[in-house]
Amino acid sequence: MIELINVTKYFKTPKGRKYILKDVSFTIPSNLNVGIVGKNGAGKSTLMRMLGQIEFPNSGKIVSNKSFSWVMGVGGGFQNNMTGRANVKFVCRIYGKSKEEIRRAIEFVKEFSELGDYFDMPIRTYSSGMKSRLTFGLSLAFDFDYLLIDETLSVGDARFRKKSKDALMRKIEQCNVLLVSHDMGTLRQICDVGIVAHNAKLHYFDNIDEAIDMYKEINS
Amino acid sequence: MKIAGDGNLKIQMDMGDRLRKRGHFEVFSAVIYALFLREVNTRFSSGTLGYFWVIFEPLMQIAIFVTVKLALFGSSSNMDYALFITVGFIAFNLFRHIVDRSMSAFNSNRGLYAYKQVKPIDGLIARVLVEILISVIIALIFLLVALYMGRDIGVENLGMVLFGFLWLVVFAFGFGLFIAVIGVFFDSFLKVIKLILSPLMFISAVFYPMQNLPQSLQNILYFNPLAHFIEMIHSNFFFELDGHFIDYDYILFWTLTPLYFGLFFYRKLEKRIISK
Repeated sequence: MIELINVTKYFKTPKGRKYILKDVSFTIPSNLNVGIVGKNGAGKSTLMRMLGQIEFPNSGKIVSNKSFSWVMGVGGGFQNNMTGRANVKFVCRIYGKSKEEIRRAIEFVKEFSELGDYFDMPIRTYSSGMKSRLTFGLSLAFDFDYLLIDETLSVGDARFRKKSKDALMRKIEQCNVLLVSHDMGTLRQICDVGIVAHNAKLHYFDNIDEAIDMYKEINS
Repeated sequence: MKIAGDGNLKIQMDMGDRLRKRGHFEVFSAVIYALFLREVNTRFSSGTLGYFWVIFEPLMQIAIFVTVKLALFGSSSNMDYALFITVGFIAFNLFRHIVDRSMSAFNSNRGLYAYKQVKPIDGLIARVLVEILISVIIALIFLLVALYMGRDIGVENLGMVLFGFLWLVVFAFGFGLFIAVIGVFFDSFLKVIKLILSPLMFISAVFYPMQNLPQSLQNILYFNPLAHFIEMIHSNFFFELDGHFIDYDYILFWTLTPLYFGLFFYRKLEKRIISK
């Protein structure tokens, strides 16, 4: 269960406050895969970052006893001067994995991400697709209650996208996903319920199709 | 086409090392350890001349100042001047490097704040630890070289020397933290600090003992806290030196004030530093 209690989030701009969320309260029930849709700038990514606890509400709070992955976003979340391998080691270490677990994780991520020689090159040489493959592969090596995925499923070539989606479908037998996407097909396939971010409010729908309908209405 | 052979997915399913609930300290130490290794790796990775500079910098400093001293004054005193300068520069460099590395610590780990366990101050602490490690290694190397050259290394009060170094680290950490926090929001602040710190080597009793200076000059240098620290280390190292210059209350003030305000502002601003 994830509970948002009077959550307000804004950014200061020269023209005053730009509200991303304004006094939002609601509850996302457990064991559901959640799709998040909204126009660009509606606060989808900010919401994800708040759930990942790397961005914080200006007031109100988000309460949950679940564990969340880091936000798998396009490009973000890596230290550019470290190699892929060093990044994997680093993340494993901060999550308290043992030497043996780290060795297995490296093996797995290297194989899954299909980075080849790039695995030992600095992240700054990676394309955004390669970064996504690395971060997604890495997240599979952990057992989070929720995976936070921001668009990354739609990066990379068709074959790898399919592979990622298949891996995710297997993974979500054990965990859940909060997925930001503009790809309605993916959302319908993976998510049970939906949230529409619009005008500094979040609208919750028991059925992902209804969320998509509202999103289409906003966009038309 | 068969996507991601089943073997692959099997590995992935076995990967399930259930995330245990960990205490704050367990998480903190895991993060510090990971950051420490990362710092060591980037500093000393092949191609960066990391090892070379770490040795070369103090070597040059010592060589230059010993040469200047011998050329100007000859080898008059019975104190081992090369050893005096070596100790001075190890202490000075420790302070200087901690402060320098603190200034950029928040920004250079920015990519890692994507993981909620990693707090900005962790990177700073890891850097302080790396600098301590480097200092210890340098000190040991120079000590061995001095012994090999048959120098007499009699330390007057080893406990106080080590205590002096430890206190210096706390001072440097507090000072570094304070300017790092302020520097996040005022870029120009760091530039001012760098400007102020640039002549520091010459006014910190690094290559001369305070008691050799005229009283009028001592009265001015009194206001530089770093001079007290280096004088404290020097005077406890060498039998020939007294420590009458050192004002412990004054450096205690200079230790606690930046540390307090550094931690105070850091606590207030941590979230803003993360999501900046």
